[in-house]
Amino acid sequence: METKRRLFVLIAPPAIVLALFFLAPLVIMLLYSFKDNTFGPLLPLTFKHYITFLQTPSFFRLLLDSSKLSFLTAIISIILAYPVAYFLVFYTGARRVILLTLLILPAWTSFLLRVLAWKVILGSNGLLNQTLIGLGLIQEGAPVLLYSQSAVLITLVYVWIPFAALPLFAAMERIDPRLHEAAQDLGASPGQTFWRVTLPLTMPGVASAFFFVFIPTLGEWVTPTLVGGVTGIMYGNLIQDQFARALNWPLGALLSLVLLVLVAAFSYVFNRFIPITEVPVST
Amino acid sequence: MKKTRVLFALLVAAALLLAACAGGPSGPAEQRNDSLIVLEWSGYEEESYWAPFAEKHPEIYPDYAFFSEDAEALAKAQSGFYFDVVHPCGSWWGLYVEAGLVQPIDTSRLENFDKLFPELVEHGVINGQQYFIPWDWAYESITVRTDLVDELPTSWADLWDPQYRGQIAIFDSGESTFYTAALALGLDPYNTTPEQDEQIKQKLIELKPNLLTYWADYTEINQLLASGDVALGANTWNDAWATLNDEGYEVEYVDPAEGRLSYACGFGISANSRNVDLAYDYIDALIDAQSNANMANDYYYGAANRDSVPLLDPDLVDKFGYDDLSVLDETNFQHPLTQEQREKMTRIWNEVKSEQ
Repeated sequence: METKRRLFVLIAPPAIVLALFFLAPLVIMLLYSFKDNTFGPLLPLTFKHYITFLQTPSFFRLLLDSSKLSFLTAIISIILAYPVAYFLVFYTGARRVILLTLLILPAWTSFLLRVLAWKVILGSNGLLNQTLIGLGLIQEGAPVLLYSQSAVLITLVYVWIPFAALPLFAAMERIDPRLHEAAQDLGASPGQTFWRVTLPLTMPGVASAFFFVFIPTLGEWVTPTLVGGVTGIMYGNLIQDQFARALNWPLGALLSLVLLVLVAAFSYVFNRFIPITEVPVST
Repeated sequence: MKKTRVLFALLVAAALLLAACAGGPSGPAEQRNDSLIVLEWSGYEEESYWAPFAEKHPEIYPDYAFFSEDAEALAKAQSGFYFDVVHPCGSWWGLYVEAGLVQPIDTSRLENFDKLFPELVEHGVINGQQYFIPWDWAYESITVRTDLVDELPTSWADLWDPQYRGQIAIFDSGESTFYTAALALGLDPYNTTPEQDEQIKQKLIELKPNLLTYWADYTEINQLLASGDVALGANTWNDAWATLNDEGYEVEYVDPAEGRLSYACGFGISANSRNVDLAYDYIDALIDAQSNANMANDYYYGAANRDSVPLLDPDLVDKFGYDDLSVLDETNFQHPLTQEQREKMTRIWNEVKSEQ
């Protein structure tokens, strides 16, 4: 009884915070998606925004397009972060924490600043353009990469790599070094050790890294606004527009719900293929 | 027993927290009966724009709540934010009246009212009553870096010319882009059929190859033009031209064959204002010839007060016709929109933008 009460007291504050600031807003969002307009009364509920959404294929195409971009961002971030994390954990010994801190140091500056930095690098008078002009590869003029989907991809990967590196680092650090020794004792080559021992054991880290990057970037609107131009626009811009400019909060709520459902469905499917909880993390 | 008590305490705490959140925004405002709350664009709080008010009421400094988009101001007003005076632009005035957010203005209480250009004042009359007092007005047209193009555009329709491929940044606004496409197609933006709406949407999609990016505020478009990332700034205000011209860039502000767009912004008094007398004094101070000219010179806009004209930069008066408002007859002045019109325009623009 005493333990139960203690548990209750311990769980209650986070539960209340979750209910107030997560569940309640979700319910409000759901209700808003059935409202006729932003400021009118809640009743009568209407499906008109759902009909608008279904009748506008470009909204859905943009969502798919943005999902592809976020997927690519997550995969590239993992591919780039994995060797770094591997090196830090297995080859740098005691200095690994300092080196990891150095790796994530850029993430301490403002997110906006890091995006704007890429705007400067990719701009018409930026490093990239000036180099290409210097090499005689392009004539002077419009920026090559800025204001495109590629610019959004490059910037997002840069911004999110530390978030991919951290879970990978944590997953690798938990691997018992004796497992590697055992693999070698049993005659496995370094390649075999990596594919049969290290990689499977770090899969939970890969999965968390994927979601750490995929989910936040899917709702992104700041980066595409700054470097995406006309072709690099993302689904998040559409949502932001409904709230900030169109004053159509119900449609904005619906668009957000669709995103939420998509991410939830995706996580579910992903979990089925890589059951995070069932992978043995440590012996 | 104990468990229920803890639960009860937590529920009470949650309820208190909710009440605190709900009461937050309007709470402090209610106590200030002797101050004036102005819902204003950031940058217009300069004391030189309302100096006569400061003289008359030295003990009061207006309290500003800033917004950066008209939609933001309307959302604030609609959701119950307390204000005395608000400064929206003309195409939004109708929505304030429709929603009952502003009160009719007794123009006899404004000493400077008779000096205002009647061409602007008439737009503040809605349902037969004066709801808004115009203060600043400007154009919307195309600013061109003449050194970056072979040929200057001479009409809105020229924006679609393939020679400007990837060289245009357009204002990220459903309303403005709708007008631009309608004018290029020779349609009346205020009376379109659903077929014509579809035509406008297709026309805007066809513009996309010529667009590099969208711009949302004047610093952004000024930078885009100054860096040469784009050569044409579509639906820019005259301040873009004036700023770049001052900095020595070779720029032109186009007078399109279909006519420039033009608009005015102005002040209304909240229907719930508890400081109506102060609100009148504040608005009267704003439309004072000197105050109005101070603002117009800072932002390169036109002033609503006729007596401000001699105090304006003569080059700008000459270039933009700030002294004779018959120039507005050749422009497409932006009228107050209904909620339906605005929704339609933003919907079309959303669909255009999401088309990849």
